[in-house]
Amino acid sequence: MRVLELEVNGDRQEVAAPAHWSLLEVLRYRLGLTGSKQGCDKGDCGACTVLLEGQPVLACLTLAALCAGKRVTTIEGLMPAHLRAGGTGPDPVQAAFDRCGALQCGFCQPGMMLSARALLDANPSPSRAEIRAALAGNLCRCTGYTQILQAVELCIAEAAGSEPAAPAWAPGQNPWKAPCGNGDGRT
Amino acid sequence: MLRLPAFELREPRSLAEAVALLSEHGESAQLLAGGTDLVPNMKHELFTPKVVIALAGVPELHGVRVEPDGTLVLGALTTLDALAADARVRARAPALAQAASLVAGPQLRRMGTLGGNVMLDTRCQWYNQTYFWRSALGFCLKKDGTVCHVVAGGANCVAAASNDTAPALMSLDARLVLHGPAGRQELPIEELYTADGIHNKRVRGAILAEVRVPPVPEGHRGAYGKLRERGSIDFPLLGIAARLDLSPAGEVRAAALCAVALQARPLRLRKAVQPLLGQRTGTPGLAAAIDAAAELAHKQCHPLDNVPGEAEYRREMVPVYVRRTLRAALDGSGPVHHV
Amino acid sequence: MSARDVHGPAPPWSEGFRVVGRAQRKIDGLAKATGAALYTDDLVLPGMLHAKILRSTQAHARIRAIDAAAALALPGVHAVVTGRDMPVKYGVIPWTPDENALALDKVRFVGDEVAAVAAVDEDTANAALKLIRVDYEPLRAFLDPEEALATPEPQIHEQTPEQKAKEPRGNVSKHVRLEFGEVDAALAGSDVAVEGDYEFHGTTHTPIEPHCALAQYGADGVLTVWSSTQITHYVQKALARVLGLPEARVRVIQPCLGGAFGGKSDPFALEFVVAKLAMLTGRPVKCLWTREEVFYAHRGRHPMKLRYRTAAKRDGTLTAVDARILIDGGSYSSFGLVTTYYSGQLLTGPYHFPTYRFDSTRVFTNKPPCGPKRGHGSVQPRFAFEVQLDELAEKLGLDPLELRRRNFQGEHVKTVNGQRVTSNGFLQCLEAVERASRWKERRGRLGRGRGLGLAGSMYISGTNYPVYPNPMPQAGVQLKLDRSGLVTVFTGGNDIGQGSNTIARTIVAEELGLDPADVRVVAADTDLCPVDLGAYSSRVTFMVGNALIDACRKARAKLVTALAENWKVAPERIAFALGRATDRADPARSLDMRAVLQLAEARFDTLGETGAYNTPQLGGDYRGGTIGASPAYSFTAHVVEVTVDEETGRITVENCWIAHDCGRALNPMLVAGQIEGSAYMGIAEALLEDHGVNRFGLHRGPSLLDYRIPTSLDTPELHALIVESLDPEGPYGAKEAGEGPLHPSIPAISNAVHDAVGVRLRRLPFTPARVLAELRAARAEPRGARAAVLSAGGGEAC
Repeated sequence: MRVLELEVNGDRQEVAAPAHWSLLEVLRYRLGLTGSKQGCDKGDCGACTVLLEGQPVLACLTLAALCAGKRVTTIEGLMPAHLRAGGTGPDPVQAAFDRCGALQCGFCQPGMMLSARALLDANPSPSRAEIRAALAGNLCRCTGYTQILQAVELCIAEAAGSEPAAPAWAPGQNPWKAPCGNGDGRT
Repeated sequence: MLRLPAFELREPRSLAEAVALLSEHGESAQLLAGGTDLVPNMKHELFTPKVVIALAGVPELHGVRVEPDGTLVLGALTTLDALAADARVRARAPALAQAASLVAGPQLRRMGTLGGNVMLDTRCQWYNQTYFWRSALGFCLKKDGTVCHVVAGGANCVAAASNDTAPALMSLDARLVLHGPAGRQELPIEELYTADGIHNKRVRGAILAEVRVPPVPEGHRGAYGKLRERGSIDFPLLGIAARLDLSPAGEVRAAALCAVALQARPLRLRKAVQPLLGQRTGTPGLAAAIDAAAELAHKQCHPLDNVPGEAEYRREMVPVYVRRTLRAALDGSGPVHHV
Repeated sequence: MSARDVHGPAPPWSEGFRVVGRAQRKIDGLAKATGAALYTDDLVLPGMLHAKILRSTQAHARIRAIDAAAALALPGVHAVVTGRDMPVKYGVIPWTPDENALALDKVRFVGDEVAAVAAVDEDTANAALKLIRVDYEPLRAFLDPEEALATPEPQIHEQTPEQKAKEPRGNVSKHVRLEFGEVDAALAGSDVAVEGDYEFHGTTHTPIEPHCALAQYGADGVLTVWSSTQITHYVQKALARVLGLPEARVRVIQPCLGGAFGGKSDPFALEFVVAKLAMLTGRPVKCLWTREEVFYAHRGRHPMKLRYRTAAKRDGTLTAVDARILIDGGSYSSFGLVTTYYSGQLLTGPYHFPTYRFDSTRVFTNKPPCGPKRGHGSVQPRFAFEVQLDELAEKLGLDPLELRRRNFQGEHVKTVNGQRVTSNGFLQCLEAVERASRWKERRGRLGRGRGLGLAGSMYISGTNYPVYPNPMPQAGVQLKLDRSGLVTVFTGGNDIGQGSNTIARTIVAEELGLDPADVRVVAADTDLCPVDLGAYSSRVTFMVGNALIDACRKARAKLVTALAENWKVAPERIAFALGRATDRADPARSLDMRAVLQLAEARFDTLGETGAYNTPQLGGDYRGGTIGASPAYSFTAHVVEVTVDEETGRITVENCWIAHDCGRALNPMLVAGQIEGSAYMGIAEALLEDHGVNRFGLHRGPSLLDYRIPTSLDTPELHALIVESLDPEGPYGAKEAGEGPLHPSIPAISNAVHDAVGVRLRRLPFTPARVLAELRAARAEPRGARAAVLSAGGGEAC
């Protein structure tokens, strides 16, 4: 058992864990940060994606002991960081995934949203091909990726002050033209 | 969750310390760079080391630099992602940058390293499985068993080299710098690999510190082609690195074709490049030579049913990928990939 | 069906819909987006133990003995259980109980569950598994369904000598032969017929969340199981049966669920194991499957070998369809009885079949058990038939779209097998994809290597066959309304990511004029929620939706009465919408709905209502006639655009236009998500995925590396087009959207490949190697000679 000093979502924390525990196991089973998901056991699905020093990595293949002194951001950290930075509500990526219906079962999405967050931090206006490439390590089984791509594009459009593209299923009206309220139907 | 077997973790802070740890623990130790190959393999109990030596804290293994003579020196811990994006690598070793850009998926490229990819364990559908699965099989020659299941009654392990960067580095005549108990050792990458699928590296007990890519001439052209089922994540079902060095007049002065994911050793296709030499760009002669090279490569490459994907189909793709990768090298495009 | 079950597609108030029909955000969207949503493995109870399951290394063997002494002796191990601890057989279909929680005397596939350990942590439990010795007596294993069919002994599921003497069944799981009309006569009298063999491979659901269950057994004798199931009700029944507990002492809760697609419909070994171990140890016990174990649990798409004959008149009018299907069931029955019927019963739309026959046989093999995967039992025959329709169109010289249009069955018709079809928007679906894909201008004109393909389908919106026959409602709901202004819905329906809780909120907000944010949903907890049969057969929106309208109408009447009395106006003047009540005659007069709830609570005492739904009597008057009988059917048409690389054989789907008739789209954004997700899954089955075993009976690659589901780079542009036919019996006219849109993807790709390069792909998956083989064969033989097109009966092809 080692005592690790981790910086998770802005907090320095000491946590005891055996050397063979992955970062995912420490996050989920020691720190109770269960937002990072376990889908495949071994680096094939991306559900456990977290940001290590701002970069998306797979927590299931990362030894927790090797993260000592590094910044770890999990899905639970996005909204508090956004609030700390003076924003309101969840991170725009989270809000856009919600508004676009991209969260079906939601299980792959913490990892997906962190990959998307890192992409937009590095490149505020990626093309659809670039978005697809950046998310190609995060498997989603529900959406066919369409609403995920739309959500990322909604973030880009709103950050740029332009109008997001309307989906095929809403001819003549754009459900994402204006930001939604708190989940109500009056948008 | 699939669990890692217990091990002791060591984190050396210098190359000397790492070498000392490795020689102290010998075969009961495993080196960990990005962990993207070793960790799944440990979860499958293919490796159950007593000691894992994590190399991330070894400063000598980091960094990319260009020496005055133009030699590109790549620290073994350079991530594949960084390698693919590095302007110096893209300019001097396009095939390598392209190969790195197609390894696995985005997160794995960000974690995985060049050194880890060069030293990647061979892969096989009868081997890269859980302990339970392998026990139900009765194990295989490569690990815990006595029989190879790829070739019925096979006495040799034919697990496949599956590292995309290996053929690219071979086409560039890269040299590896290794540090072991006996000190520094430098060898051409080709001499690293053997035909033994169980352990296809000639060197054991040493740490790969850096990869040296000799300077390429002005007219160097390179590309990498990768056959896989999906546009991301998957290992190669076939990988082809192509190199063409052109004179200012457009004449092929030197050429290389190297292939991976066929058998235990990445292959250099020496005969296949012969028709290319002396041909000039933009002439029908070169187009015909590319076809001839593709046919010669087809003759030389015999994939086995080691990695998933039908061997016969993979063989059929050899000439297609050789042709396409050569053309991509010529016109400065690439990588050759289906997405 | 009573009056409570039919409410009509229009709202009974004059203002129209204010919530229904809009792109509502999901009720749990932000919880999921922020990582707050709790899935089963996210739950931890004090003192919790971890369970691991020992699995069979043999494909088919008798268990001579199990020695678990060393495992039990390992420090940290609290209990070991084997099949003898839970000998009662169960099965999701009560007529075919052939499963044990852990193998009793036989194992039937590599991966079958044999024993389980509860230990202080996962590592200890894993170590204990390695100490358990199982003595197997191997039996001949059947990996090929034809071989299993032809070989009655050894039986994978042994009959008693008496059963065998009465009706020996060998390795047949289920056989169904049904004929409607005079098929042979119709074939003989037809102008043209096509005949061909098709093959559908195995595929599996692959939800990203692996199965997980957690059990707690209270000192009061109440067992609580949290499970990643899509059918809490059946898990409750199965646990009670196997563990010998009264159903009222078993509480099953489905936490947030990370995808299911049919793969979490059966009761699974881990649910029994954690329950039993919790009872034995007095500690909470959790079991989380590894990804490998999810592949062994399987219950995925049945591989099928299908032979079809389709006959028509010269003008394209269908005259007869004749099918013979061999179904590879794997090692257990699961839903196989239903699968066998569905393989024939769900094909009789959207086209009119004057005569129809199918002969389907499901056989057991020593492989992971097959079951219901999205589009249960009908995706495979749909593939074969829709490819054959294109072959027929080619032979007749007709545009495939025109052939389908000519055979449209119409609305409000009875099918040849006695199914009642109500609303039917298939023609609008055809028109929508025809227009969006520019079919007329582009089909056949895209140049070699590029093509367009079309297919259609229909699917059920729930079925009137509940898994166990009973006269009680198929869906029940309760509402709690109180003075805070909050309305809580209690439903046994399982939200598995498809958004059924959001639909519940939508309906209640619409009916009671509430801000959707003031409606919350408690779902899938058998202690708290009325019985609902769960998330399968695309039944939740239709059935729970109708039950909710039933409950809401009762509640609404009370709210209207209370307010009308308070305002001293006629009830007809009261309107509710989006959190406010208004007087229609005096729109300036309005009141917050919270105040209305308080008036009603004062007037009627504590407010609560129930609602229920049952299907009408449906189906043909013959054995099995109710299986596949649905109160409403959805319809779909796809056009896909492919490119075929003739050097590599690789098919790339560039675009997929999907028009789906879902009745009324209660939330078009969720409908689109279902349409896109379905099409994606179909395309994946066609091009990438292949679930099977190797020559030793071992799963070929039980991981997400080797079972390749598409990444964002492998998924084409999906264009969801919504067609709303407004069903007379659906809630506001709604029908299903979650399974139907998968079906046409697969045949549409085959048909598009034919348009692109002139070869017919009749075997799945469409691997590059197979495409190359077909291209080679086509080059080697003169055009037309190779097509498996045989003329039958009196007619000759035009």
